[in-house]
Formats: sequence, C-alpha cells, structure tokens
Amino acid sequence: MSGDSLIPVLTPAGPYAGSITMLAWLLIAMATAVLAIVIAALWIAFAGSDRLKSRLGGSRTIWIGGIGVPVVILTVLLVYGLSLTRNLTAPVPAETMRVRITGEMWWWRVAYLDETGEAFMIDANELHIPAGRPVLLELESNDVIHSFWVPQLSGKLDMVPGRRNTMPIQADAPGVFSGQCAEYCGGPHALMGFVVIAHEPADFDRMMTERRASRTPVLGTGAELFQRTGCAACHRIAGTKANGTAGPDLTHVGTRRSLGAGILPNNRGTLMGWIGDSQAIKPGNRMPPYKMLSAAELEAIASYLEAQR
Amino acid sequence: MLTAGCEASPGKSQHMAQADAVRGKLAIERAGCGACHDIPGIRWPKGQAGPSLQGFGDQGMIAGRLPNRPDLLAAYVRNAPATLPGTTMPRMPLTPAEARDIAAYLYAASARR
Amino acid sequence: MRTETGFDHSLYDRFPTSDPRPEGELEELERIWCAPKGWQLLTAVNNNYIGIFYVGAAFLFFLLAGILALVMRVQLALPLQGILPQETYNQFFTMHGTVMMFLFAVPMVEAIGVLLLPQMLAARDLPFPRLSAYAFWAYFVGGLCFFASLFFGLAPDGGWFMYPPYTSLTYSPGINADFWLLGIGFIEISAIAGAIEIIVGVLRTRAPGMTLDKMPVYAWAMLVLGVMIIIAFPSVILGTLLLELERAFNWPFFDPTRGGDALLWQHLFWFFGHPEVYIIFLPASGLVSMMVAAMARTPLVGHNLIVLAFLATGFISFGVWAHHMFTTGLPNLSIGFFSAASMAVSVPAGIQIFSWIATFAVGRPRFNAPTLFLLGGMVTFVVGGLTGVMVAMVPFDWQAHDSYFIVAHLHYVLLGGMVFPMFAAFYYWTPMTSRHPLSERLGKWAFWLMFAGMQVTFWPMHLTGLMGMPRRVYTYLPGREWEVTNMISSVGAFMLAAGVLLFLIDVARSFRFTTDHDAGNIYDGGTLEWLPTGLYSARSIPVVKSREPLWEDPGLAEDVKAGRYLLPGSATGLRETIVTSPLLAEPQYLQIIPGPSVWPFLAAIFTAGFFILLTIQAYTPSFTCGVLAVVCVLRWLWDTDRRVKEVTVDAGAGVRLPTYVTGPSTHGWWAMIILLIVVGMIFVMALFSFFYLFGVQSQFWQAPAPAGHLAIILPAYLAAAGLALLSRRMLAREKTEHWTPGVLYLCAAAALAAGVGADMWSWIGSGLVPEASGQGATVYALLSLEVLLVGVGVLMACYLCARNSRGMIVRPRNNSLDLCVLWVVYAAAQGSMTGVLTRLVGA
Repeated sequence: MSGDSLIPVLTPAGPYAGSITMLAWLLIAMATAVLAIVIAALWIAFAGSDRLKSRLGGSRTIWIGGIGVPVVILTVLLVYGLSLTRNLTAPVPAETMRVRITGEMWWWRVAYLDETGEAFMIDANELHIPAGRPVLLELESNDVIHSFWVPQLSGKLDMVPGRRNTMPIQADAPGVFSGQCAEYCGGPHALMGFVVIAHEPADFDRMMTERRASRTPVLGTGAELFQRTGCAACHRIAGTKANGTAGPDLTHVGTRRSLGAGILPNNRGTLMGWIGDSQAIKPGNRMPPYKMLSAAELEAIASYLEAQR
Repeated sequence: MLTAGCEASPGKSQHMAQADAVRGKLAIERAGCGACHDIPGIRWPKGQAGPSLQGFGDQGMIAGRLPNRPDLLAAYVRNAPATLPGTTMPRMPLTPAEARDIAAYLYAASARR
Repeated sequence: MRTETGFDHSLYDRFPTSDPRPEGELEELERIWCAPKGWQLLTAVNNNYIGIFYVGAAFLFFLLAGILALVMRVQLALPLQGILPQETYNQFFTMHGTVMMFLFAVPMVEAIGVLLLPQMLAARDLPFPRLSAYAFWAYFVGGLCFFASLFFGLAPDGGWFMYPPYTSLTYSPGINADFWLLGIGFIEISAIAGAIEIIVGVLRTRAPGMTLDKMPVYAWAMLVLGVMIIIAFPSVILGTLLLELERAFNWPFFDPTRGGDALLWQHLFWFFGHPEVYIIFLPASGLVSMMVAAMARTPLVGHNLIVLAFLATGFISFGVWAHHMFTTGLPNLSIGFFSAASMAVSVPAGIQIFSWIATFAVGRPRFNAPTLFLLGGMVTFVVGGLTGVMVAMVPFDWQAHDSYFIVAHLHYVLLGGMVFPMFAAFYYWTPMTSRHPLSERLGKWAFWLMFAGMQVTFWPMHLTGLMGMPRRVYTYLPGREWEVTNMISSVGAFMLAAGVLLFLIDVARSFRFTTDHDAGNIYDGGTLEWLPTGLYSARSIPVVKSREPLWEDPGLAEDVKAGRYLLPGSATGLRETIVTSPLLAEPQYLQIIPGPSVWPFLAAIFTAGFFILLTIQAYTPSFTCGVLAVVCVLRWLWDTDRRVKEVTVDAGAGVRLPTYVTGPSTHGWWAMIILLIVVGMIFVMALFSFFYLFGVQSQFWQAPAPAGHLAIILPAYLAAAGLALLSRRMLAREKTEHWTPGVLYLCAAAALAAGVGADMWSWIGSGLVPEASGQGATVYALLSLEVLLVGVGVLMACYLCARNSRGMIVRPRNNSLDLCVLWVVYAAAQGSMTGVLTRLVGA
C-alpha cells in the first residue's frame, strides 16, 4: 500500500520497534568494524611489510582475534540483547486494550476484547489503535502456523495453532503501517497483508464508541442478495441475519483501507472485481468466484457493502 | 505516471478532443477497473472477472456488440447496463469527463503497442 | 603412553627396508586391485570410484537445485511475474532448499571424504567399501527419483523444513509431502552409513605411527562430522517417521486438538537442522585448513586450537537449535540460553579464521585458483558469521527472521563456508585423481565471476529483508520498491551461474579420471594423499612420523613407491589394509577388504524402489522391492566374516599381524556400536516426544498405565539378553554342540518378540488408541520402534542359523554372532526402557 516507508525495520514508528532499530544500528556498526578488521588482517598477511606479517603470524593472533576480542564483544552484546528482550516482553498495564488476531489461510480475524475478554467488535485484516498507548495483541491460528509482522511497530510473533502468543505494539503518532504474514502458510502466503491504523486517542475513542453503538441494518436489494446468493454463509454483518464465520467479518468493511488482506485498495471497482473473481487476483484463496452475478446484482451488493461502516 | 509521458498520440479514428489519457489512468486506478480487467499499463490488480483490455483499441466491437467508438466507449464505461442491456459489466461511479478520459487512455495505451 | 596395544615401537625402525622387492609383487598387487570396466563399473566398491561417482552425483544435484534458483530469481526480478504459477513456485523453493541441503551439501562433504580420507591416511580403502557403494547408489537413484517428482507436479511444497500443520494431511492431502518424507529416508540411510565409515576409517585405518596428534586436521574435522551425524540425524529420522505416521495413520503427533503440538516438529527438526549446517561447514573448514597450509607452504599455525575449535563447534552446535524458533513464543529463559549458546558458537569459527590469517602471514602464499577460492570463501563466510551474530540477538531476530535478511545470512555462510571451499578443493585436489590438473586461467575467471556474482546476488537481500519482504513468497506487489534490490539479486544470480558454467567447461576440457597416472603433487602438499598411488592407494603403507610427512621426508614418496614400507604387496592374495589402534595407530590386524560386488548395487536399487513405490502408494511392488532389498543385503553379508588360510601374515620387515580377530577391537564391532548409538538416539528423541507432549498437553494423558504387565515384559527382555549372551558363551566352550549357539540365539529373538508382544497387548488392553491422543500416538510410536528392532533381530536369527548350518560360525569366537548378540542385548534394553518409561506417567 502506498505511503509506506522504504526500509521499515530502520524507520520505526513506535517504542518497541524503536529499541530494536537501535540494536540493529549497533549490530551493523559492529559487523562492519569486524569485517574491516578481518579484511585488513588478510591484506597484511598477503601484502603487508615483513614486520607486520611476523606480528600477525603467531598463535597470539588467534588468541586475541579469534577468542579474546570476540568473547568481549559477544558478552556485551548478549547482556544488551537479553535485557532488551526482557523489556520487550515485560507485562503491560492491566487496563491495556487487548485485541485477538487469529491467523487464517490467508487473512486475519481481528477481535477487539473488552475488560472481561469478550469480543465486542469483530473486523478483519486491519487493526485500529490509539497512538501513544500500548495495545496487547493475542495471536492465535485456526489452521496452520502464520506470523504477524508489522515491522514499523514491532518484531514478529508466530501464530501457532493450539497456542496463544501475546505481544504489545505501540505507535508513537497517527499513521498507517503495513505488514505481511511472515511464516509460509502455503498457497497465496505472498498476498497475505495487514494494515495497522493509528489514530489520535480522541479520534480513536470516538470511532470505537460509534462502532459499538447499535446499528440499524441497511435494507434493500443488496441486503437481500447478500443472503440469497450465499454470502451470509461465510460472512457476518452484525445486526443482520448474516452470521457466517468462515470468511472475514464484513460489519465495517466500508471503512477499510484495503481488501483481500491488505492487497487491494477499497473502492467500488475492487469490491466488484473481488466478488466477481477473487481467484484471479489472489489464486488459491478460499472465496469462490461469483461470475454468475448480473451487473445490477454486483452493483447492489457492492453498494450494500460500502454502506457497512 | 512514468509511462504516461511516453504515450504516442492516439490513432485518428480514436482521437478524442478534450480527453486526457493521463487523467484517465488516474481515474482507472481510483475506480478500481483493474480488479476485473487486465489493463495495459496497470500493474496491479489484473483481474479476470471481465475480459482483458490489452490491445483494446484494435478491437472492432465493445463486448462483441457495440461498435468501438469513443462516444460509445465512454458511455459504456460509465453505465454499461444502460448502453448495452444484458451486459455483466456493472455501472461505475464515474463522471462523464472521467469516462471520456478512461476511454482516451484505453485507446492510447493500445496504440503504443 | 609408550604403547597402546603392546605393539613394540622399535619395530618401526625396520622401515624403510632396503632389500629389493621380490619379482612380480607389484604386478600381483595391481592384478588384485584391478579396476572393473564397462558395465562392471556398477559393481565397483573401491573408494576412488565410489568417491568420484559420489562427488559427481552431488555436484549434479548442486547444478539442478541451482537451476531451480535461477528460475526463481527470474520470477522475483519484477513484481507479479507469472513465469511460475503459485503452486509451482512453492514446489521450486521447497525443492531448491531440500536438494541443496540433503542431496548436495551433506553428500558432497561425505563424498570428498570418501575420495580423500583413505589416501590421506594411507589406507588402501575405507573399512566398509560395499557399504559406501550401497549408500551411494541408494542416494543417487533415490535422489534422482525424488527430483523427478517436480516434473509430475508432485514435488513437496512445504518449504525445506516442512512445518506441520501445513504439511499434515489436512492441508497437504496429496502425496507431495510424502515424497519429501520418504525421499529423505534413503538419504538419511546414506548419511548414517557414511558416518560409520568415516568414524571407523579415521580412528582405525590410519597409517602406523600416525598418532592422533599427527593426524591431518581434515581427518579431525571428518571425525567430528561423523559423530555429529550419528547424534543429529536420528532426530530428523524420528521426526520424518512421526510425520509419516501422522499422515498415513492419523496418529496426532502435531495436531494440538488431540494432544499433539506443532512445535514438537520444530524441536525435532532443528535439533537435527542446526548441527546439519555445521555438518556441512566443519569438513569444508577442515579442507580449508589443509589447503591454507599447503598454499602458504608452512604448517598450520594453531593446529591444536583448530582441533579444539572443531570439537567445541560440534559440541556447542547441539545447544543452539531453538534459535530457529525465537519467534514461536518460547519462554524468556530458554530464549536467553539459546541466544547465549548461538553467540558462543561463533568463537570457534573465529579461531579458525584467525588461524588461517596467521598461517598466511607466516608462510609464502601464492595467488592461484585454490587460494582465490579460499580467500573469497573466508571473506564471504565472515560476513555470514557476522550476520549470524546479529540474528543471535533475539530482538533483532524478531525483525529479521523469515525475511530476506535470513536468506542472505544463510547463503553467505553456506556459500562462504562450503561452496567456495569446495571449488578450492576441486582445484587443489584434482591433480590427485585426474591426468591433467584444471586450468589456472579458467579457474581465476570462474572465481571472480562466482565471487562477484555471489555478492551481487545476496548482499542486497540484507536490505530487501529490512525493507520488509518475507521469504518464500512467489511474488510481491509493486509500490514497495522491492523490485530494485530484487532485480539486482537476479542479475547477480546469473553472474554466479556463469562462473559455475566456466568451471564446468574447465572440467570437461581438463578432467580425465585416473587412479594411477594422475597429474601429481603440483601444489607441493605435505600430506599422504600426494604419495604416488594406484587403485590400491599407496604401494606400501608408510610409518608416519610427522604431520606433513612429505615435507619432513622428501624421499618418502620414492620409498613408498618402491615398496620399502608395510604391506608392499598382498600378503594373502586378496585386497587388504591394516587396522590400527585409535590413539597411537599401532598396527593391530590385517583387514581383508572386499572387491567389486553386484549385491550392494542391487540392494540399493531395491531400497530406493521400496521407498519410492511406497510414496506413490504402489504397496505390493513396494513390499516386493523391500523383500528383495533385504535378500540382497543378506547375500552381501553372506560373503563377510570369512577366515583365510593364513592365521598371521608378514606385513613387511617381519611385522606379523593376525588376519582374523574378534571382539571389541574389531572394525565390525565398532560399526555395530555406532549403529546402536544411532538407534539409541532415535529412541531418545522418541522419548523426548513422549515427555514433551505430556508436558505441554497433559490433559490428553488419559489411559492408565498398566504397570502390572511389566512382570511379563521385563523378564522376557531379560531372557532375550541372557540367551543371546549365553549363545556367545556356548560358542567359546569346547564341548558345545555345533547347532547350540544358533538355536540359543533364535530363542533370544523369540523372547524379544514375546517382550514387545506383551507390551503391545498390555496397552491395547488398557484401551489406549493411537489416533485418539498424543499419549496413544507416542506410546505406539515407541512400541513400533521396538517392533522394528525385534524384526531385525529375528532376521538376524535366521541368518545366523543359516550360517551355522553351513559351519560358518566357527569357535571360539565369531564376529557375525558377536554383532548380532550386541543387537539383541540392545534391543532388550530399549524394550525394557520403553516398557518402564511409558508407564511412568499416566492418568
């Protein structure tokens, strides 16, 4: 999606990713320095003066260069690395917002949890968070191993079936951050993207309140077609009879920035194209094509979905 | 954007006054036409719900039934069911100007080949 | 120590002898070691032939997997290219990794060992030539069939480490994953066979006087390799067995809904997988150490430190496996330990690098093709090692894991640590086995193309990974600017390929295989492989007095060729070599080595056939092949363990050696012990699986443990072991009837069967079902292993009875009987432990 930074790992947008980036720069510096030393030593060994060569040509070189210096560097790095690991996995305050993200083949189920751990709002493939506050992600999988990775906000964490892994993320300022599944899960693993949108805290709270409010369902041809053509068998729209859970929840699909798990912009054309033949865009995904829909039916369903906000 | 600067001028029969192929490409991206069609110059998406539009300018007919003329193409792009009843291409949320721009782009993109 | 076996070291002073050798002795030696020709080449077992076949086959797989990579790079050069459809690409990257790791890298380092080690140790051949032949042909035929699965769309597509649940039956319903699982099976056999050869070869067939401390550093590397293979490979053998059981019979080892765990596979796989990369690196670094010393024309600086580095690497590498699992949610304590160990394992590598630098500094190195490849490899490996330290840091790994950064890292260490040293070795050692050396000029061009190509391909991948591109993606969307670095990588891949092509041209033009008219010691190396040789290796086996014998004694080559050392001809009219003691290499006995034989070849074909036909579910042909394979193996074994007329022979200058020995100092006994260690490790990993699943999913441990039945099971196993040992004891007694030992052994095997049968019946009776829970699956898996052991024991019993009936079990001691007794005693012990430990934790 456009608007991304060029090198996300080196342009962090939050404290968790930020501390990793600092470590990354330190490591890059260390590696460059050591490589330079090794190349210099090789140079001397072949083309250096006799005096330098004789100093290099003894087992002292091995003790210092091969054992002494590495042990020092590695110990320092290890201590730094382990303490950073502890900081990154430190527990977050009890009132931190929790979101459960479940990996599916080849999309993401997003459930915002209330204080009791119940899901009060369900969405898919996108996550809204308030800027400046941590959010605790609970990562699970319903089928195979996936991995949640939004490099500008944090490192990655696997979604292993039968386990629940947790990870905090935080964005310092409002923005849009993209990610991609990072554990090969077969098929169109390459097209399993994710979008995180950070809002000003006030905007975020307002958005959540609006969305939690009870909604009057939109009626009309689109709604009827949604039931009749079988969409409701896989998709859910809160407040209607559509209650399928095999596919992404479409209650708020009109507000999403992307479709197909972070791979298409969200507009009338892409909605219709995805419904008409998603296999051509994301081969192997679990949604069948709907080429039998007439022009009017396609338009009705798409405008119905656009109204789900 | 980069390719737009290299476009040759469209063929005479497909010349469209006051229609801008460059704006047309932007409109195609905004409306998501690529989700159903393989359109030259649009890298992603390349859908197959509708027919490929590669070499569209060389086709004699639109959807096999309408003569391939700028005015008809623009009307079709904007409201296919009204222009050609029974077609499976739905109405698109485009202004008439955008529709003409898109038509211009389709002709220009295939003329380049 | 003064003497290890009682051998009198003053006997060494008799060499080199000065009397002229008898007429016709050399001709007789040449006749005995005459190489097979034409179709008979399929029956060759000598290490020169098997070694060169093996190297050629491994290189062929390198080329095939490399071509897959080229196609992948074409696909990824631009976004959304449809050159390979999604499914095909997923098979390509899986096969690229699998073929490179299993069919090229490990076989190649073993192959070079097969070719080089006996020469370097001045042994006439490896200790078990027919085993090498079997291992090679099984690997070659099986590997080709496995690769061919690509052409039928049946290649596996789960990545080279094939994580479940994706590779379980639910998500991989086709036989593609089975191809991987069963296909890897015969490669595992070859690797274990090779390891047995190498360990016994390095420890027991060195030239007399070559004490451990005078042993070439490459032999140390190969020794550590052999030990690592026998400890590490069983883990993947068990893992593949469990996944196949899950797919075929629905036993839920990796299914969390029934008491399994997806991470169990990862632990089993990586416990093998990490040592695997050191299995690949250590022999190559051993080769580098040899070549650096030769190129610098000076002994290796820090020889002892390097040997220590091998041992340290081998040891520490078993403690780092979970660094492949840092992102799976392991507890911080484990993560900390594995991070520390992963950083520690880089220290021995650093020792080697600086040792090489110091050696170059002390010596007078030359810039020839081998040196260039060595230097290029070193620099590349250092880069890879440094990025390795980077990803050993857990938070950084949380960003880099499973991205192109890791792809860059792994290729840097593999190409720098193994591929470049391999090419250096080809340039350096070709004169030992070819009429002409390779071309220096083409070699330098090949090097620069390969080196530059390698950097251009893989350096940008560090950046690509930091840009967020995950690995194993068949395409990517435009708009992230990933196409710039990807395009550069793709161009580099073709440069690398051009370098390899140049090398192939060089080989085609210059390499002409020979065993006795080789180009000679053109780089002036100091170790024994550079002695003038025929198929029989050196004409006479020298007494070794230093680490670089050819430098220390310039007349050695001439003396060896003239037959002035040990075994200048054949003492028994058959092929022979000398078996020496492990520490001081004192001569112990004369080993009669087998000549060409068709049975290992046929056994290998049928073994490969068994696995491949099983994969495509052609069950009857598969089991037929299996039976035929067993028949061929038994027929091959039938020729072993024969006495010759002469009880002792003159091995040269009056040194007398026995021709037939029995007991713990024989090479056969050592081989069986090593095999039992492998079997034991498989058992240990199965126990690990049992306790691990109990630990993470104990709610699925429902069936009560029927402990009472141990009263039947344990005595049965005890009886088995006792009867087996008794058969051995009875053989030694004068008054025993001729058929007694065989019958006793048969009863022992029957007791084993009774033991495992009782155990099985006990669990079935308790209501435990393998498909229903992790407990069921692991208990029945342990029982299945025991059933396999018992089956082999029964086969052994029949074999021994057959030999007995022909009078081939001769008193007082017999090797065949001894080895079979070892097997039964072990099987009884494993069976007892199975019985007790599975009942230790229950509902």
